[in-house]
Amino acid sequence: MTTDLAGLRRSLGVYLSVAVLLIVVIAPFYWIFTGSIKAPQEIIAQVPTLIPQSLTLEHYDHLLASSAFPRYLLNSTIIAALTMVITVVLASLAAYGIYRLRFPGSQFLFKIILVTYAFPSILLLVPLYGMLSQVGLIDSLWALVIVNVTFAAPFAVWMLQAFFRAVPYELEEAAALDGAGRLRVMLRITLPLTAPGIASIAIYAFITSWTEYMLASVLIISDANRTLPVGLAGIIGQYQVDWGLLLAGATLTTLPVLILFGLVGRNFVDGLTAGAIK
Amino acid sequence: MTNATPTTTGRARTGLLAGRFRRPAGDTLLGYLLVAPLILWLAGTILYPLLSAIRLSFLDVGIIGTGGQFVGLENYSKVLGSDNFWEAFGRSLVWVVANAVLQTLAAFITALILKQRFRGQGLARVWVILSWIVPTVVVVIIWRWLLGTSGGIVNYLLVTLGITPQPVGFFGTGPTARTSVIFINSWRWFPLMAVILLAGMQSIPEELYEAASVDGASAWQRFWHITMPGLQAVLFVMGLVGMLWSINVFDIIWLLTRGGPSAATTTLPVFIYDTAFFKYRLSRSAAASVVLGLVLLAFAVLYTRVMAPRAEEEQG
Repeated sequence: MTTDLAGLRRSLGVYLSVAVLLIVVIAPFYWIFTGSIKAPQEIIAQVPTLIPQSLTLEHYDHLLASSAFPRYLLNSTIIAALTMVITVVLASLAAYGIYRLRFPGSQFLFKIILVTYAFPSILLLVPLYGMLSQVGLIDSLWALVIVNVTFAAPFAVWMLQAFFRAVPYELEEAAALDGAGRLRVMLRITLPLTAPGIASIAIYAFITSWTEYMLASVLIISDANRTLPVGLAGIIGQYQVDWGLLLAGATLTTLPVLILFGLVGRNFVDGLTAGAIK
Repeated sequence: MTNATPTTTGRARTGLLAGRFRRPAGDTLLGYLLVAPLILWLAGTILYPLLSAIRLSFLDVGIIGTGGQFVGLENYSKVLGSDNFWEAFGRSLVWVVANAVLQTLAAFITALILKQRFRGQGLARVWVILSWIVPTVVVVIIWRWLLGTSGGIVNYLLVTLGITPQPVGFFGTGPTARTSVIFINSWRWFPLMAVILLAGMQSIPEELYEAASVDGASAWQRFWHITMPGLQAVLFVMGLVGMLWSINVFDIIWLLTRGGPSAATTTLPVFIYDTAFFKYRLSRSAAASVVLGLVLLAFAVLYTRVMAPRAEEEQG
């Protein structure tokens, strides 16, 4: 009897602590989503409503039909997609070289990559701006692709470490003995086996690019080339904040991240943590 | 038919070769070729800009394309002689320490919660980092909305529960703005720290805990004598990388307060950005970047010397 009660109390404690944690982390997202479908007068009501009393899509309609949001969404998507592709190619090739071939100097290169992933980007703000304006890339989406790959790739190589380590050398040896060249072994055997790792660095690159604000705010001049973070920040900065519009914008900006994370979130977290513990 | 035989002999031969995998001469060349694109990319976008920042810091460039005269150490003496720089420096120190304390505390609690057995554990461990994966601008919108003076739920609760007589303007005064940005940034980052800590905790062998329980160790003793030592390597890396990432935080502060009110939240990154693109002094901003870079380098060297876990050194 008493042990049952203790067990019950214990599991109650567990679920309660988990519930508090989830409220702290998730509830704010519920709040912006429900806010985005409330009528304007309910949004600014003195007494906030936990469950929306009105249901409207007018903010989304306004956002998509009569604001520059679709343009920002398109720009951010183009930049994130290109960042993702380039990062995946550069990082997976480098990771294969470093983790599988162990050539002279590979450990040194690995250390360089470790240093660059912790490197504070603020130190690069002014010189990157100077450099990209010299080569005429100011106000170009390519400028952001270039800097986002720089921010994403070193960490991506690091994330791949655990995934490459999990592929047994014996598989590669067997293929090599069957006459397959190194490059073939890499493309046909090793890289497909690290697919979960590749997926998680792809997401990481996408998220890094989707979030980037600092350089996007100075490298892009014209409204037509703005990305989502800079575009939304422009709406926040307006004299009279249209909360309905902003909450709808925040919801739509979060959605792609949620979808991608829902697909391979587990691999992503595995990749994040596996490298950290060795 | 012809395929089957080589595979079996292949496997047999693999057994013989196991442990001393031949390294064909081509491997070294291929290795360099595979790593080269990334290394060149990073050299062009990190190393070159870094060197050009040092060069820029000795010139008198205001906005891009103007000036360019060599002025020696003038930018450095202006930066190091300005109260604004040192105040920003002090705020960055407070920022880093406060964030480190809050996030470590929250991350430990979170990791210990997620370490327990409960239904939906797998999902919770993945989705807990939601605040870290959404764009900063969304985090900013969320908290400006939650903390707003009209319609904000936090103020509604504070007033309704009688904790404060009237709505608090969280971003209106220096101290409240500083506290708010620190809390918001910590909210964004602690789940990431938590999942890393959790992975570290799970890599500690369960037998150690069982043995300690048999010996009658309390939960606190087990935490202090098994968990903490087991986390040494993880905490070492987290401390260094976390500190470098934390001092680098710009967008969340800028989008919440623009460094205000009256510079109360102007940390060094905000100072560097503002000097370059709002005061139009690129060279002076570059000098401030170089100073910050040197400080961080000194910190990183000192930190690795003093804090490096013993076992780690032997391995290296």
